[in-house]
Amino acid sequence: MIVLVCVEPQSPSQASRAALRLACNLGEKADVVVVSAGGAADSASFQLARQTGTVRRIVHLDDPTFDKADYFTLGMILAEAARHLGAHVVFTGEHSDGEGQGMVPAALAHHLRAPLFARVADVHLPDTGDEVLRLTVRSSGRLCKVVSPLPAVLAIPPAWVADRPQTGAGKSSPAVETLTLAQLAIDASRLVPRPDLLGTLVPKATQIVQYKSFDEAAHILLRGK
Amino acid sequence: MASIVAYIELREGAVTRPSRFVVAEARRIADAAGATVFALLMVGPLAQVEMDKLASEISAAGADRILCSSADTLDGPALDVTHGSLLAQVAEHLRPLLFLFPAGGTAVHLGPPLAVRIGAAFMANASLDVHAEDRTPEPPSQRVLISRWRAARDGQRRIDVGDLERPVVASLASGPFPPPAGEPYAEVEMVPCPDVKFPDARVVDSVVDLAADLELCQAMVWSGKPTAAASAALRAELPSGTWLVTADEAVSPALRVAAPRNLVVLPSPAFAPTAILPPMAPGAAVTRVGSGATTVAGPSELVGETGSDDANLAEFAAALRRARDSKAAP
Repeated sequence: MIVLVCVEPQSPSQASRAALRLACNLGEKADVVVVSAGGAADSASFQLARQTGTVRRIVHLDDPTFDKADYFTLGMILAEAARHLGAHVVFTGEHSDGEGQGMVPAALAHHLRAPLFARVADVHLPDTGDEVLRLTVRSSGRLCKVVSPLPAVLAIPPAWVADRPQTGAGKSSPAVETLTLAQLAIDASRLVPRPDLLGTLVPKATQIVQYKSFDEAAHILLRGK
Repeated sequence: MASIVAYIELREGAVTRPSRFVVAEARRIADAAGATVFALLMVGPLAQVEMDKLASEISAAGADRILCSSADTLDGPALDVTHGSLLAQVAEHLRPLLFLFPAGGTAVHLGPPLAVRIGAAFMANASLDVHAEDRTPEPPSQRVLISRWRAARDGQRRIDVGDLERPVVASLASGPFPPPAGEPYAEVEMVPCPDVKFPDARVVDSVVDLAADLELCQAMVWSGKPTAAASAALRAELPSGTWLVTADEAVSPALRVAAPRNLVVLPSPAFAPTAILPPMAPGAAVTRVGSGATTVAGPSELVGETGSDDANLAEFAAALRRARDSKAAP
């Protein structure tokens, strides 16, 4: 079963690292393929994938248009890549460490026409012949056991744990393969960036952290009630 | 007239505090800029008396109209596969300026897919603001601004809702809400629930997530590793909606979706939580508390804090009592 893990092009976010960890812990049933759109072929994301012994393939989607692509376009491209690679389950980080809005997984699922699950805590791949994915998600104050048809897109939240690269003793690191938009049958000239989706960037004007005494902090807390 | 939709989250049948805040914020913006506030309630099969009770509470919080959809598929936690189609249907029908979700994780499931379906911008953990602007030769107008921190906390993204030629889907922080001010009972309109897109995707079982109440908190107090007795003593002094989080609880997944307006970090000899701040909206503040009774001017004065976690909790509990007493004094 092909498990596609999408990671950011430059360096993987905390959530993408968690997604990769979860995918690589699925066991022998999972053929883990790591994909990233844009960036360099020797980026930190690909280096992490190469250090992770259970990764079978690493795919670099390479096109200059990715530098200006909005999340809607990026989701569409990753969806086409998922189709091209025959992914049964797509793992993504829930959000990046940059903008952090969690839009790419949603756009990916939309274009792949696949169900999307966020706040995923646990995943069990189906047994042979069983086409139903079983997972645990957090929602509305409950831990929910969910079943889903395949393919499915899973957005994995970041975890506050350090990376433990699975060095995969005896396994050689896969080479980075390159896939172009033409191979995905996408016409790059028709990709129109939509910068208004993010809004205007206002530089950091105020410090988010203030330093106070016990009494001052108590007043702040009570005023906020 | 323009509309604002406020999604109402229910937990164990009750409206959450962040949902009350979302309705109050929608009311504030609607009053300033001129808009109708729709509260959206999505529930499983529900007795009329229960629905009336919820509707009364929501309308008193500030909603003009209540849209309610009741169906078996909605009788469970909010997931895109169960709730997404209905959200998109409502958004397509009303074409609101703003579609607001409360803090607590619901927006993580429902916000981005809704924004993608209706071509909206999405702002997680956002703040709303209204200000008058003269755009001569146009008449002066009230502008609705929505802003959020980038996850990297290196700047804020801001959208003038009136200038954007698309709706904005947003989640707000968990903040204080005023006492009930709206009409005691607003009009309730039942909305049919469309077929779900993936009928084979469903919740087969669920249990209460014991750590999830933290997701709804309005303020957090962070400590190191105090004893259970010291924690209990401080918790007894904390205002409602405020949670004490100890170092052992700092890795809880609930922290990732909580969006408190206030975060107070108590000094600790063994715990430096600054690397794992929960999401915060613009206007929210992190207050680091220093030892001693005087104002701490900067991080250098926090170096060498030696008080034990229990002593620091006790000192903060005493400070809360003093603050309450001073407020109560004539």
